[in-house]
Amino acid sequence: MKDETPRADPTAAAGEPAAAPAGKARPLWPHLIGLPGLTAVAVLSAMVLPIPLAVILALFIASLAAWSAAALASRIRASEQQRCSLDAQLVQSQKLAAIGEMSAGIAHEINNPMAIIAQESDWMTHLMAAPQITPENMAELRDSLAEIVRQVDRCKAITHNLLNFSRKMEPILQQEHLEKIMEDMVLLVEKEAKLQGVTIGRDYDPDLAPIETDVPLLRQVVLNLLLNAFQAIPGQGEITVSTRPVGANRVAIAVADTGVGILPENMSKLFNPFFTTKPPGVGTGLGLSMCHGIVDRLGGAITVESEEGKGSRFTVTLPR
Amino acid sequence: MSIRILVVDDEPDFIETMVKRFTFRKMPVTAAPSGIAALKLLEAESFDVVIMDVRMPGKDGIETLKEIKKRYPLTEVIMLTGHASVESGMRGMSLGAYDYVLKPVDFDELLEKVRKAHERKLLNEGRNASR
Repeated sequence: MKDETPRADPTAAAGEPAAAPAGKARPLWPHLIGLPGLTAVAVLSAMVLPIPLAVILALFIASLAAWSAAALASRIRASEQQRCSLDAQLVQSQKLAAIGEMSAGIAHEINNPMAIIAQESDWMTHLMAAPQITPENMAELRDSLAEIVRQVDRCKAITHNLLNFSRKMEPILQQEHLEKIMEDMVLLVEKEAKLQGVTIGRDYDPDLAPIETDVPLLRQVVLNLLLNAFQAIPGQGEITVSTRPVGANRVAIAVADTGVGILPENMSKLFNPFFTTKPPGVGTGLGLSMCHGIVDRLGGAITVESEEGKGSRFTVTLPR
Repeated sequence: MSIRILVVDDEPDFIETMVKRFTFRKMPVTAAPSGIAALKLLEAESFDVVIMDVRMPGKDGIETLKEIKKRYPLTEVIMLTGHASVESGMRGMSLGAYDYVLKPVDFDELLEKVRKAHERKLLNEGRNASR
């Protein structure tokens, strides 16, 4: 699998700046209590003190307020950066988990033929240790050898399939309108949704130029998000799909629902393989992790906002 | 360059219209009444794009799609369905269908999809050749 050439993806994960070193938790009270207190002092002093003195005091406190605002802004920025890097770490650890899982599968697949090969070659060594090889033993040797060849072929088929798999993983980029990519999947879900009182609203940006992406892969993501949205709505409700430009060279699609929302404690596990809140048999827990994998390969990112009881909104940003 | 199209549906009327419309546009088209017949045809000659109904007696569209993608991964398949089943749509798309479209389909739109699917096949072939 060494010939896997990375295509169009590194920009996404590497885009975020590295995390600022975690600062010591500086106290918040100077901003929350100190400054309002000082402001009150300034107001009170304006009533008692002569005006020039009060003005000087007010200016001083105003500059303190400006400093406080700047300090708070920089802290917000730092914590956002930290969050971004945590997201990146999460993606990385998921990748590692997926690799771990896959290698366990491969090991299992290849171990079986290996065991047979070991057994047969053991038997052959045993037969050939005899001083004379009888015609019967010769026939057995031939049998064993044939079996070994068969098992080697089996291994070859496994690695061959793996190579094909890794090749298939590479996206094929085509120009297509986002709206066109989404609409077939929306229609597919809409009919079933309507029967259950769920309407689908469309909010496509009509001026959005076609983008370059892997069309069937993106359709899979859209269908998955739509299905999740539909399943999150217990009774009647609404799903809204939308497309938007994001800056000059990215676009975003969003699938929003008015469903049950996501519990805060589940937010971090959402994209983990095999994580599901659906009853057994309904969800495999692979949908969102698959979406995440696809979007990652397309050089994009997937984010979620959710409010418990009000609904969720999944946004996929992609390069144009 | 012409696109070699295979239409698979158990409904003779649908096949007849399809063949008529593609032929009118001078596009070579072959028809098969079932999944098994389609696989047999694919064995004998190669096609670029397969347009296939999901619900067919015998081997259904999803099973046939699976078989086609296994044997001829580069052939693109557009699935058509009369009733919207999200589940089978998910299965179809994850098995490698190019698109999963609710019937009735506007012919011009279908044509556009066929062109796009063919373009994808050419891109895929170009990449495999450069390896």
